[in-house]
Amino acid sequence: MSEKTENPILRVEHLDIKFNLRGKVLHAIRDVSLDLYEGETLAIVGESGSGKSVLTKAFMGLNDINGWIDHGSILYQGKDLAQYKTEKEWLTIRGREIAMVLQDPMTSLNPLKTIGAQIEEALRLHQGLRGEAAKAKTIELLNDVGITEPERRRKQYPHEFSGGMRQRVIIAIALACNPRILICDEPTTALDVTIQAQIIRLIYDLVHKLHLTAIYITHDLGVVANVADRVAVMYAGDIVEIGTSREVFYEPAHPYTWALLSSLPQLGKKGEDLYTIRGTPPNLYNEIIGDAFAPRNPQALQADFVERPPFFEITPTHKARTWLLDSRAPHIDPPKVLSRIRKLGNS
Amino acid sequence: MSEQQEPFLSVRDMHVTFGERRHRFEAVCGVSFDIRKGETFGLVGESGSGKTTIGRAILRIYPLSGGEVYFDGQRISGKIDKELDRRVTQRMQMIFQDPMASLNERAKVDYIVSEGLYNVARGISKEERERRVANALSEVGLLPEFASRFPHEFSGGQRQRIGIARALIMQPEFIVADEPISALDVSIRAQVLNLMAELQKKRGLTYLFISHDLSVMRFICDRIAVIHLGRLVELSETEELFRHPLHPYTQALLSAVPQPSPDCARRGELVAYDPSIHDYSVDQPVWTELVPGHFVLGNQKELEKYRKELK
Repeated sequence: MSEKTENPILRVEHLDIKFNLRGKVLHAIRDVSLDLYEGETLAIVGESGSGKSVLTKAFMGLNDINGWIDHGSILYQGKDLAQYKTEKEWLTIRGREIAMVLQDPMTSLNPLKTIGAQIEEALRLHQGLRGEAAKAKTIELLNDVGITEPERRRKQYPHEFSGGMRQRVIIAIALACNPRILICDEPTTALDVTIQAQIIRLIYDLVHKLHLTAIYITHDLGVVANVADRVAVMYAGDIVEIGTSREVFYEPAHPYTWALLSSLPQLGKKGEDLYTIRGTPPNLYNEIIGDAFAPRNPQALQADFVERPPFFEITPTHKARTWLLDSRAPHIDPPKVLSRIRKLGNS
Repeated sequence: MSEQQEPFLSVRDMHVTFGERRHRFEAVCGVSFDIRKGETFGLVGESGSGKTTIGRAILRIYPLSGGEVYFDGQRISGKIDKELDRRVTQRMQMIFQDPMASLNERAKVDYIVSEGLYNVARGISKEERERRVANALSEVGLLPEFASRFPHEFSGGQRQRIGIARALIMQPEFIVADEPISALDVSIRAQVLNLMAELQKKRGLTYLFISHDLSVMRFICDRIAVIHLGRLVELSETEELFRHPLHPYTQALLSAVPQPSPDCARRGELVAYDPSIHDYSVDQPVWTELVPGHFVLGNQKELEKYRKELK
């Protein structure tokens, strides 16, 4: 966090994203504001359908054409990406400024081209390298992402690589564009635990070595404790809590963060039931009134059903959208199992 | 749980081979273990280690190329008579990994859940079958009226519940759960794990739980066997395995478990496993019980070292 500056590299303000699906309007992102600081790693955590991918895809203009930015702005280097319309405009951002690593390494590579050709394509487009220079850079990149014998491996096809190795190739392609922001969308969900640990470590090392700013999207809080400087928790298209990694793991404030953390099997004891979140996430076709999590929260306050809570600031870096932090609210203790997180840290 | 108890399921020197001659590939090479009645036995390993193959070979989906499987005292591997085959099919069931891929998209839940009954309970009436489907659905926390819907109308967690109902309707005693929660969201994982634990208590089920994720297994398994490239390398009670992992591969797996704590995560060093550290050229490794219930694969020199570590 030492390189963190006060200036956000990317600033999202009151962003609303809607999708048109079979004549109905789905409100996928609801009034999200977010600052991304230079040099930090921000983790965005949420269940499927919470909008974490939609939000970050909006930074690169990658959402499907039935989706649109209804309101708000995405400020990057003095430009408002929310106003971008044409592919030509987006090509100035995609890859060269913001690059993305996707979830499934089995489908994001072209099976008909050698991996060397795929990396060189990115180098040619974004850095203008050709011939020997491109080849040398490719070998350097493959080395960086921990692929041994890069001279030989660059001539191989994706099917000759295992899942973990393919994910390394994809990271190499993302880095070939020399981006400032690297978005990793569930980069390890499809991988084995041992490989997952290696990839997470690799991303962590590269982000620090190359002074990148990273956004790490996942549904598994257990994974991001490893890498994130800050954690943002998303629910139903809204950020409900954001803070430094320690703040969110040790002193979570929003009932949804409590629920997510409590349901981690790592905190369970054999013979006891794991905590489960009852019900299902709200239907985003309907307008959401109050706190979106209230219907699933057994301890919801009356105010939660009436009015959307504002962000309450707990520390300058930690804020949460819950009425529990209002001065009029009754005191509710977080679930007891959460104390086991601290014990894990000490053991 | 007494040590002398007759094993419920016993795998003896299992070999499974795919392909022929030049393309022969031995996926499982001489695996032996016992599963006791009512326990959850975990099988952990990376992709390609053969853990799924073992589960499927037990269920007679793949033929063995060597060794035997005994279930409740009877040999069920190789050629067995029709009557036993039918009984075994009913008593052993499977829960699959990906609920998005393992349900027939064109069949209604009613048919998906009751399909097994067409084999073992042919005589029952339509009403009886519907009643059993409704029971199985409510047992896994779904509404009986879901029976008339199609799989695409359900979320991932609900679909996995349908997969479990499909196994339960057969009144099984032994269930192979092959990565039942890997494809699910964290919040849904907890629900499925709780459901499996609850059903085990209620029905006295025995599970073979196959996974690559030790953090989940610690929560659900009584004993865990670690498998690497078709061979078991370590087997022990869960807590013992976490406290005293002996084999370097087990240690590597444990070091990769993600911890939801910002401080311990950063300190943890990643241990990589390099099989070439074993020198098995002269001294062949043997499967040895070092202390009661804790088995490990190693040659004499390594076993000596492991013994010292345990003291």
